[in-house]
Amino acid sequence: MAHKPRFKEVNVLKRSLFVLALFGLLASVSTFALAEEYVPGTPMKVGFIYVGPIGDYGWTYAHNVAREAVEALPWAETVYVENVAEGEEEAFIDDLITLGCDVVLTTSFGFMDGTVDAALKHPDKIFGHASGFKRAPNLMTYMADFYQVYYLNGIVAGALTKTNKLGYVGAFPIPEVKRHLNAWAMGAKAANPDAEVHVRWIEAWFDPGAAAEATEALIAEGCDVFAFTEDSPTVVQVAAQSDLMSFGHYGSQMYTFAPDYVVSGQAIDWAAIYVDFLTKVYEGEYTAHNIQNVDYWWLMTQGAVYPEASPGVAINPLYIDALKAYMIDDPVYGAISAYDLHNLRFAQFADPGVTFDPFQGPIYDRKGNLQVPEGFLLTVDSLITLEWAFENVVGPWPGEPD
Amino acid sequence: MTWESWIVATVSRTLAYGTPLLLATLGEIYAERSGVLNLGVEGMMVVGALSAFAVAYTTGNPWLGVLVSAAVGGAFSLIHAFASVTLRANQVVSGLALTMLGLGLSGVLGRRWEGWPLLTPVKEVSVPVLGKIPVLGPALFEGQNLLVYVGMALAVVLWFVLYKTRIGITIRSVGEDPATADSLGVNVSRVRYLCVLVGGILAGVAGGYLSVAYRPSWTDGMTAGMGWIVIALTIFAFWNPLLGMVGAYFFAMLFHLSFRLQAWLAPELLKTMPYVFAIVVLVLVSKGTLQKRMGAPSALTIPYSRGED
Repeated sequence: MAHKPRFKEVNVLKRSLFVLALFGLLASVSTFALAEEYVPGTPMKVGFIYVGPIGDYGWTYAHNVAREAVEALPWAETVYVENVAEGEEEAFIDDLITLGCDVVLTTSFGFMDGTVDAALKHPDKIFGHASGFKRAPNLMTYMADFYQVYYLNGIVAGALTKTNKLGYVGAFPIPEVKRHLNAWAMGAKAANPDAEVHVRWIEAWFDPGAAAEATEALIAEGCDVFAFTEDSPTVVQVAAQSDLMSFGHYGSQMYTFAPDYVVSGQAIDWAAIYVDFLTKVYEGEYTAHNIQNVDYWWLMTQGAVYPEASPGVAINPLYIDALKAYMIDDPVYGAISAYDLHNLRFAQFADPGVTFDPFQGPIYDRKGNLQVPEGFLLTVDSLITLEWAFENVVGPWPGEPD
Repeated sequence: MTWESWIVATVSRTLAYGTPLLLATLGEIYAERSGVLNLGVEGMMVVGALSAFAVAYTTGNPWLGVLVSAAVGGAFSLIHAFASVTLRANQVVSGLALTMLGLGLSGVLGRRWEGWPLLTPVKEVSVPVLGKIPVLGPALFEGQNLLVYVGMALAVVLWFVLYKTRIGITIRSVGEDPATADSLGVNVSRVRYLCVLVGGILAGVAGGYLSVAYRPSWTDGMTAGMGWIVIALTIFAFWNPLLGMVGAYFFAMLFHLSFRLQAWLAPELLKTMPYVFAIVVLVLVSKGTLQKRMGAPSALTIPYSRGED
């Protein structure tokens, strides 16, 4: 009579299938266990996916500063992953979920599709995507946009330039960057009708070498004031090496690289958005089922963005006298100094009623098309899909409509 | 824009961006000439960059930083030498491992140095009389720093050593036919160790140049792939230091021009320009006959041990 086979005597195929089935069961049990929805009022774990290093002193640095503000909340605990390449975020999001995160926030436009897929895969977890436009019942989008701040910086740039050539080092020719560039150009035109904005693209968010050479190329073209979208202080440094002015990007930490040449800059406080959103999740107002229409589009009124040269200082004191002396002939306000116009627009942007918008018509693009008729404003949807270039922009503009 | 200002700006930026490429290429040429393929250049450059910055920042002396970057790059390369020459491991794997180690280590250790501008970078120098030559003067002799001229001088010196001295013949013979060299009394191991060390030192200095002169500061991963370009340039140079200089400067020129020319050509197209050039050259070079004639060291990547074939 044959004895009952021991496990190790059962043939290999059957053994393997059994082990696989066991794993499958364990895996499904574990994901089932993880599919717990967050209970309002209990400790919350928040995961952050960063596209660059915290030390970029730019975009990712700003998000990390805000994450630390979240960590300081008594009921929140945070984890983060740096340097996640766009397109590879899904695996990292899954990792964060496995670590027990209730909320995952992905901080780059290029993470959009991965975040959408993850939101569909984990319907009981909450997701947030920065600078995107696709949402789901458990996926919201958020953005703190700079265009008002760029307009203010543009006024300053237009007033201070001696060569009437402003230089912009752009990352990717996407609507976000184009919108900021155009706002800067519009502010410059308001102060100085002869100013031109020359642009060069480096096709990367982070590439110090490319940013350095692009800046040098613009310097060779005669530009003397610089703004940029690149996640390092390179443009500031390179401009300063040639004694040229610049506007810091993402905060006043860039000021330390050239205290004599950073005139102002675009500063951001992501914590304003994070704390607002996470508090609403904590209180149960936002859940994994009702954030389909949550789209933070926060500007100066909400304190999410503001012009800043160094901490607490909007304009570098070295340049205030020059700005006061520069007179503008404004169609509405008459003779007004650049300094006063800057402060006036600042107040209008910060006002809860937002009584002025740079994108109010009539606005012509550089091909002569009327993009915004008189008496109209651009909606948020138009702003986030903007592709045209303003009148005084000079240089390559991939994706320009006819 | 006048053509003179175009030339001045282009030449000036070519020298600035081409110097780290040149220094690292010279080092890699020597390593490969002795028969050892060093794919760890990127890792050595980045640890060199971090150590140079850290030392320059704390001591206020950028040249001390450059010295330390040389030492650190050299020390790193000794790991590769040990693995490739003594242990006779696969050189490709060893090199790649060192690149990853270098990038990771510098990323972690460099945290504390991120975001600090270097207030004492390498100073710009202007050569007094030569700087006044029309057009070429400002292009070549003003606003550069000492390391640029060191690079150019090194290219000439290293070419001379490689082709006109006994040491050079020894190195080349070790790379072509180590068995014969060994039978003639050459210490193959020692030559290879020293050449890899030279490669590591120069890669370290190239990295140091980036963080202490070119863009004085440290950022995680700041070499941004330069090490890989160096490896391609070594082949483009046909393992000849002078051609290495030509290649490094040519690549740097294309890189700079890719931003200048954006006013007329699509940025995406221009961004690929330097890399397309590298690919074209590599394709041409890897065609069999060309390689045989122009002489890749025959024993490249092949570990040597006495008595084995």
